[in-house]
Amino acid sequence: MKPHLIALGAIVAAGLAAAFGVRDAVALDLVFTLLLYAVLGQSWNWISGYAGNISFGHAIFFGCGAYASALMVTHGLSPWLAIPAGALAAAALAIVTGFPTLALRGHYFSIATIAVAAIVDALVRTQPALGRATGFELPIATGWAALQFADKGPYIVLALALFAAVQVATIALERSRLGYYLRALRANHAAAAAVGIDERSWKLLAFAWSAVIASCAGVLYAQYTLFVDPPSTIALGISIDIALVGVVGGIGTLWGPAVGALVYVVLAKGVALELGGSGKGYDLVIYGAIICVIAALRPHGIVGSIVDGLRRRRGALDLGAAATGGAA
Amino acid sequence: MEALTTFAQLLVGGVLTGLVFALVAVGLTLVYGVMDVVNFAHGEFLMLAMYATLGLALLGLGPLLGLPLVVIAMFLFGIVVYRVFVRRLLSGPPEATVFGTFGLLVLMQGLAQAIFSSDFLSAPNPPFSGTLRFAGLAVSQASVVEGCGALILTALLFAFVEYTETGRAMRAVAEDRIAATLMGIDVQRINGLAFGIGAACVGAAGALLMLSYPVYPTAGVPFALTAFVVVALGGFGSISGALVGALLVGLLEVFGGFYLSPELKLVPVYLAYLIVVLLRPQGLLGRR
Amino acid sequence: MLARRLALALATALTLTAVPLGPTGAADPPDIVIGSVIPLTGSLAQSGAGLRVAQLLAQDLVNGHVSYPLPMVGKSGLPHLGHARIRLVFADSQGKPDQARAAAEQLITQDHVVALIGCYSSSTTATASQVAERYGVPFLNPDSSAPSLTTRGLKWFFRTTPSDATFADNFFQFFGDLKRTKKIVVKKIAIVGEDGLFGSGAGDAEEALAKKYGYPVVSRIAYTATTTEVNAEVQKVKAAAPDVIMMASYLPDALLFMRGFKDQSVQPQAIMAQDAGFIDPNFVRTEGKDAEGIFTREVFSLDIKHRNHAVPLINQLFELRFSGKPLDGNTARDFMGVLVLADAIDRAASTAPEAIRTALQKTNIPGNLTLMPWKNIQFDANGQNQGGSGIIEQIQDGKYETVWPFDVAVSEPIWPMPVWKH
Repeated sequence: MKPHLIALGAIVAAGLAAAFGVRDAVALDLVFTLLLYAVLGQSWNWISGYAGNISFGHAIFFGCGAYASALMVTHGLSPWLAIPAGALAAAALAIVTGFPTLALRGHYFSIATIAVAAIVDALVRTQPALGRATGFELPIATGWAALQFADKGPYIVLALALFAAVQVATIALERSRLGYYLRALRANHAAAAAVGIDERSWKLLAFAWSAVIASCAGVLYAQYTLFVDPPSTIALGISIDIALVGVVGGIGTLWGPAVGALVYVVLAKGVALELGGSGKGYDLVIYGAIICVIAALRPHGIVGSIVDGLRRRRGALDLGAAATGGAA
Repeated sequence: MEALTTFAQLLVGGVLTGLVFALVAVGLTLVYGVMDVVNFAHGEFLMLAMYATLGLALLGLGPLLGLPLVVIAMFLFGIVVYRVFVRRLLSGPPEATVFGTFGLLVLMQGLAQAIFSSDFLSAPNPPFSGTLRFAGLAVSQASVVEGCGALILTALLFAFVEYTETGRAMRAVAEDRIAATLMGIDVQRINGLAFGIGAACVGAAGALLMLSYPVYPTAGVPFALTAFVVVALGGFGSISGALVGALLVGLLEVFGGFYLSPELKLVPVYLAYLIVVLLRPQGLLGRR
Repeated sequence: MLARRLALALATALTLTAVPLGPTGAADPPDIVIGSVIPLTGSLAQSGAGLRVAQLLAQDLVNGHVSYPLPMVGKSGLPHLGHARIRLVFADSQGKPDQARAAAEQLITQDHVVALIGCYSSSTTATASQVAERYGVPFLNPDSSAPSLTTRGLKWFFRTTPSDATFADNFFQFFGDLKRTKKIVVKKIAIVGEDGLFGSGAGDAEEALAKKYGYPVVSRIAYTATTTEVNAEVQKVKAAAPDVIMMASYLPDALLFMRGFKDQSVQPQAIMAQDAGFIDPNFVRTEGKDAEGIFTREVFSLDIKHRNHAVPLINQLFELRFSGKPLDGNTARDFMGVLVLADAIDRAASTAPEAIRTALQKTNIPGNLTLMPWKNIQFDANGQNQGGSGIIEQIQDGKYETVWPFDVAVSEPIWPMPVWKH
């Protein structure tokens, strides 16, 4: 646990330094996006990695937070209320949709998440109260009460706080009973059921928490971008982006989402900046190629491969110790 | 009487829509049945077949004449993709195939945009643009051609799987990979063939769909999404399940659009999927 | 061949003289930097490429010596600022609202632009202009049509293009004119549109105006643009038996509806489209004879050349720079947008934001000094240009002919539309 906390501390420190030291709005925007996607990727990781049910509809929980923010503000309420409101909505949505589907195997669950997301998208587009296709523009305000700032610094501080909280929560998850049961379920469903682990209940818990985390990210996003509509928050493309961040980094690992977010941001923005202007989609080509290569050669993702490598070396050391009849 | 005609028209429309979905879904379910892989780039294979058909059309070969060529080309493409890429994915953890094929989706969409641009493209004056009338109902000739194509393809695929030796080998691999290997079946070869045939099926689908739709880099997405639901609904791996699932989805979509609302017409489809898999986790006609 | 070569040489000469050559003086005033946020990558990149070319063309003409009957062109920069040149700096919105926001911020904080222009898609314009509002930088929107953009109470936002509300109003003015001049009576309206920002915005505007002018809306249908079939939608329209069907669709869905209307013998007096899929080059190519008689609102047409002879000249210059593709509604509006900004900055005789803003508020450019079929360019208290209007074209013999307003029309409207040929 220590090395993880030290690493986290270092990242937070670096982030704070950037928030208050760097003036370049473009760089700060990249840092914010990076943190946001790291949080979203980690929330996705809880259900798809640790619980093993791969979701392609995770954006709806992100949308819960974003829409909660938009609705609060346009109704004259404090955006801070959006945090509990969005979290409640997201958890409720997760439980209602997870209950029938979490017991499904593999691809059936993934397609169920697509189905649920499509239903949510259709409903949002038809409800005037939810802005339909036009969405919401959040009116400009400034200050902690309004959760909006002219400067990027405070946004990054908030994003860092969220990121740190989520990482600590994930460390806690790995060491908790929930985490233990999830690992057991992933290893062998039948055996786990035989010892009385109720798959549905434990996975619902993980799912609900993952939804809450995504919703918090959504609130922060809405307060930053000041614009919420279906294509930018709950569309299938957003769900896919979130999933790819988790996969590239390493599904089921603590630092996978952060690394995946780094790759995503560097690639998406970097390539767009370098090759931009032609409208040719080169950034998609490179991104797609990288994912293919990782899936084929390093399917556990970047962090996953590192973890595997470490484990193998440790295993070899143990074998060596056993062979020589003593500790290495 | 009006209401009855409208109902009948919707019924016919729903069936034809369903057949189009079956056309796209059949190749997907075969691949899953044999090697447990959902090719999430299925829509992009469809898009590739559509571009290929357009290319041949611009060279003077109409969609129906170009169809056999596209089918063969896609078959070879499928085998190559399997050998070079999918085979490697299979030796990794189960998530590898999901994300590998997703990577392929992103890559192919990007390449399509880079090479063809995101403009809508279609062949001028497509054939079968007329209307067919019977019993007071009207359908477009193109839909009828697509529907017939779907039925023929499904029947051919079913016959292949049931009655040919390779088909039997595929069923064996689908049922028990290890036992099949013990029986002397070259699983890698069968996998490659299955992937190739799956691609060939979607190649036929793409060639026929060019009769009614323009092609663009993300043209395959709406068809693929429905195909996933159809296949899961019918039961992964079941060809007859794909047909049944597709017809059900088509009817739900069309009737949902009329009696519920056009904006919400996919809601009954997705709800039906959720209900079916809740009650019957392996789909309507699926095995495991 | 020779004529082409001569034309090319002439146009090249014109373009070259538009760009100032050699040193212009001992102490050149610094360039006036204008930021442009447009989609340079992503799904809208094709359109974005054209917008960029159009904006740069305007920039070069403002900085050049050759004058045309257009504001600020050929004065070698901005006269009231010592002939300072304007310089556009581009940032990519990628077609996404959050990216547009970042792009606008980059232009303001890093490139210190005096004004912003952009962003084509309405959702990206919304976020970029909010950034401008926060920083107090004038924002000129030449090409986004969502009505909501000018009802936000923003101080720094100005829009030259008419909104969907105006375009919808054009249809009803057309009906009124048809009644007056040809005794054609339109009653029942059906509104069919995709359920995204484009379709729902247009549909809402049409529905509100239909109510205002007293036309019963017998059917309002929204569908998802990526749908693969429209059986139910067509049946619903058929059941409503409208006189006119107003459509807001992209190409694939437009084609599906045309096929469906034909098959099911849905025969309205007219189909009025809101651009998009119905002006895609593939529409006429695929539909052939079936496209005859379809009306579409347009923003611009080369037909209006008799209003301002600069139209074909600018078109030629544009075609040279953009692989032979002619000016269209989007590129023409963006071209004008740069000129409007240049005009305001020059009148302000200052790069101070507040001065530019005040100058923009006082903008008054007569319509025949623009490339557009507009009455004039004058912004109301919400920053919306009140002098804008669209035109209506009809597909006749496979070509889009301007049929309204009658004073710019080149052809008579065919009414009702031809019967479907089976």
